Amino acid sequence: MAKKLPLEGIRIADFTWVWAGPYCTLQLAHLGAEVIRIETRTRPCVTRMLPPWPDGKFSGPDCSGYFNQYNQGKKSITLNFKHPEAHEVARRLIKASDVVINNFAAGVMERMGFGYPEVRKLKPDIVMVSLTGYGDTGPYRDYVAYGPAQVPLSGLSSLTGYKGWPPMHAGFSYADPNAGAHGAMAVMMALYHRARTGEGQYVEMSQWECAIDVLAEGTLEYSMNGREPERNGNRDPYMAPHGNFKCLDWPDKIADQVVDRWISIVCADDAEWGRLARAIGRPELAADPRFKTLAARKNNEDELEAIITSWTSTRDPASAVEHLQKAGVAAGVVADARYLSQDPNLTARDYFVYKQHPEVGVKQHCGIPWRMSATPCEVRSPAPTIGQHTDEVLMGTLGYSRAELDELKKKHALD
Amino acid sequence: MAGALSDLKIVELGELVSAPYASKLMADMGAEVIKIERPGTGDRSRQRGPFPGGEPHPEKSGLFLYLNTNKLGVTLDVATPEGFGLLERLVADADIFIHNLNPPEMDRVGLTYERLAKVNPRLIMTSITPWGLSGPYRDWRAEDLTVWTAGGVCVLNGAGPEHPELPPLKTFGHQSGYQGGVHGAVATMGALMARLRDGEGQHVEVSEQETIASMLEMTFEYWPYMKMVATRLGAKPIQPVETMEASDGYIYICCIEDHQWDRLVEVMGNPEWAKEEIFADRFKRAASWDALKVFLGDYVRQRTVLGLYKAAQAKRIPLAPVSTMGDLLNSEHLKARGFFVEITQPVAGTHKYPGAPLKYEKTPWQIRRPAPTLGQHNEEIFGARLGLDKARLGELSKKGVI
Ligand SMILES: CC(C)(COP(=O)(O)OP(=O)(O)OC[C@H]1O[C@@H](n2cnc3c(N)ncnc32)[C@H](O)[C@@H]1OP(=O)(O)O)[C@@H](O)C(=O)NCCC(=O)NCCS
Repeated sequence: MAKKLPLEGIRIADFTWVWAGPYCTLQLAHLGAEVIRIETRTRPCVTRMLPPWPDGKFSGPDCSGYFNQYNQGKKSITLNFKHPEAHEVARRLIKASDVVINNFAAGVMERMGFGYPEVRKLKPDIVMVSLTGYGDTGPYRDYVAYGPAQVPLSGLSSLTGYKGWPPMHAGFSYADPNAGAHGAMAVMMALYHRARTGEGQYVEMSQWECAIDVLAEGTLEYSMNGREPERNGNRDPYMAPHGNFKCLDWPDKIADQVVDRWISIVCADDAEWGRLARAIGRPELAADPRFKTLAARKNNEDELEAIITSWTSTRDPASAVEHLQKAGVAAGVVADARYLSQDPNLTARDYFVYKQHPEVGVKQHCGIPWRMSATPCEVRSPAPTIGQHTDEVLMGTLGYSRAELDELKKKHALD
Repeated sequence: MAGALSDLKIVELGELVSAPYASKLMADMGAEVIKIERPGTGDRSRQRGPFPGGEPHPEKSGLFLYLNTNKLGVTLDVATPEGFGLLERLVADADIFIHNLNPPEMDRVGLTYERLAKVNPRLIMTSITPWGLSGPYRDWRAEDLTVWTAGGVCVLNGAGPEHPELPPLKTFGHQSGYQGGVHGAVATMGALMARLRDGEGQHVEVSEQETIASMLEMTFEYWPYMKMVATRLGAKPIQPVETMEASDGYIYICCIEDHQWDRLVEVMGNPEWAKEEIFADRFKRAASWDALKVFLGDYVRQRTVLGLYKAAQAKRIPLAPVSTMGDLLNSEHLKARGFFVEITQPVAGTHKYPGAPLKYEKTPWQIRRPAPTLGQHNEEIFGARLGLDKARLGELSKKGVI
């Protein structure tokens, strides 16, 4: 008999939206949970409405590459809570679920009638997770948050930037997947506790706090020494060189634009620097007093970087990295999506997912970042179209008859 | 009250961030973690700060102290036959073994799942590595930055099109390591749930490169869907989502939905310029960003960070300050939630550390003990638990095994 996925049999009533919550339930779907997204056509998830779209044109809520990436392997039902009948459907779903999770602003679930006390009445051993921007308590509990704004809020921006420049961003909504991954872990820890004791519980999370947890080196500089760490580009106090170095641009343009290419190079110690010096054809620099020790390289880092750039700037990134790695130097391509889509390592490891989606066809999507030796590890289906599983879940799982379903639809409770 | 994982035993062989963070997340929820460090120098993070007073000291590294709370610490050279034998005895009694040795080091030590499964078939072994345990990069070297770039995220960050000479910019800290760690904890918990059902252990491997590639927001999909490449030099699809300078610091202006922008216009007192057709929706505002940033910038410069933040949030607009470390430690909100926690470790003293990423109603997150000093629990673990006598311990220590 085929082995089951780790969370097969676990059902998640997924009230999440945007990115943080869906990233969390994506991990649970990857592990085999039945994740049922509760959506409404009257207020679709923002990621359904944002690009990228095939051919660059918005053509409905099922076509966004953004949504389709982070909702792989899930189901979608539509319930419009402006109608009382929709609440009854959700109550039945909660009764049949193991986990309820949401990332609305604080208070929304309560207003919809799905606060923890009500939910627990429906299903006494439920695990309920709330993953808001600021948490359920504290003076800012009602504040709203989005991923991009959590990066500066968390403190990450003020730590990130070129020397002497203003704070920069991370370039993406980093706090969202970070909180989502912590959330997935939290769900399973609570499920583990439930398996041992029969007891469910409420789990409260703040995306802001999850983000501060991954920049402890910054807050500790302040709490230990009262100092704000200085922004210092790509450099590192304990390693040099440590940075990104310019290579040859892509030979062709994309949308009439030249696209530049870089590689990262790091030498963790003097021996690695010696190997780098030899690899770039400058063996004499290994013992050069300007570069021989970490302290010397830190003192002459501009010069050091200029020498490395003079080697990288005439080279193709992939072959430069290959050459450095063969010489025993840590290096990597600064991969853009085009490079990543054909990255030899990811491709050889079958990382990417190619599923037939009813609206967009087969598109390359990112997959699961782990492998397991005894249980299967696979994305089971493409992201759902909005409401794709309404009939299936209501009739198959929740026991509605066709007539009842049609009645609900007629009343627009399932919009 | 006991933590959710209080019946679990974990052995960690970890350095720097990824494996130590994964096992910290579980230790803080009640699991017992025995951390194995290299005799002599210990975990590499002991050499990295911040240090109190800026003075490097292996027992005072803020990074090490943060990542290793609630763990028992032993020293053991697993590359020696005697050392590996002791590792086998430790995992014989454990639920989870989590490590971040690189594949070439695994080969050198002879570390495989099969070997450990022989002594404990119920063991879950989690390997967190930069490039994964297969594929052409398997044996490549890596540091945090090289994985961050190769995972496809670094290309997104940096100065805009006005400064193509400036490199793609790394995000502060050890983010590849933290993500390898938290995703490692996710996968490990998955394997644990499977073991509850199937009774079997297994080998879990987590690739940091794949972890980074799995969190690229919508940027990766621009290539397969639209043959476009998102980089630091490109324009944003919607605006405003930018850091701007206020009168006393930086604030992040963020309107994702059009109704949020409409309310920000109200907060600004409905200026005439905001009625221009070129600012009519989020996509138009992105196309007209050069003009918008001048108008908006003039307004923001006249406001204080806190004043504008609170005025916007009162109307449910998701603006946020660009927090400094001081702002975080002094935040009235984080204080009210008791987020930062004081931890005392005898050598380093008492400091405030970031606290719980989650609050459980019944099984609390808890700091039961500070990070271990190097080899602090050698006697307790090798002596009392594994039954090695004083003479044997002395001998192993002389040989550099422990
Ligand atoms: C993302 C966010 C800013 C959006 O704010 P918002 O659009 O004002 O939405 P809220 O979360 O406040 O409220 C959701 C509304 O949708 C309604 N809604 C949700 N599901 C519904 C459904 N199926 N049918 C009908 N209405 C529904 C709710 O009733 C609520 O309406 P109300 O405000 O009238 O009570 C907010 O949800 C938030 O701060 N979340 C936490 C942080 C976060 O996760 N951000 C996103 C990560 S990128």
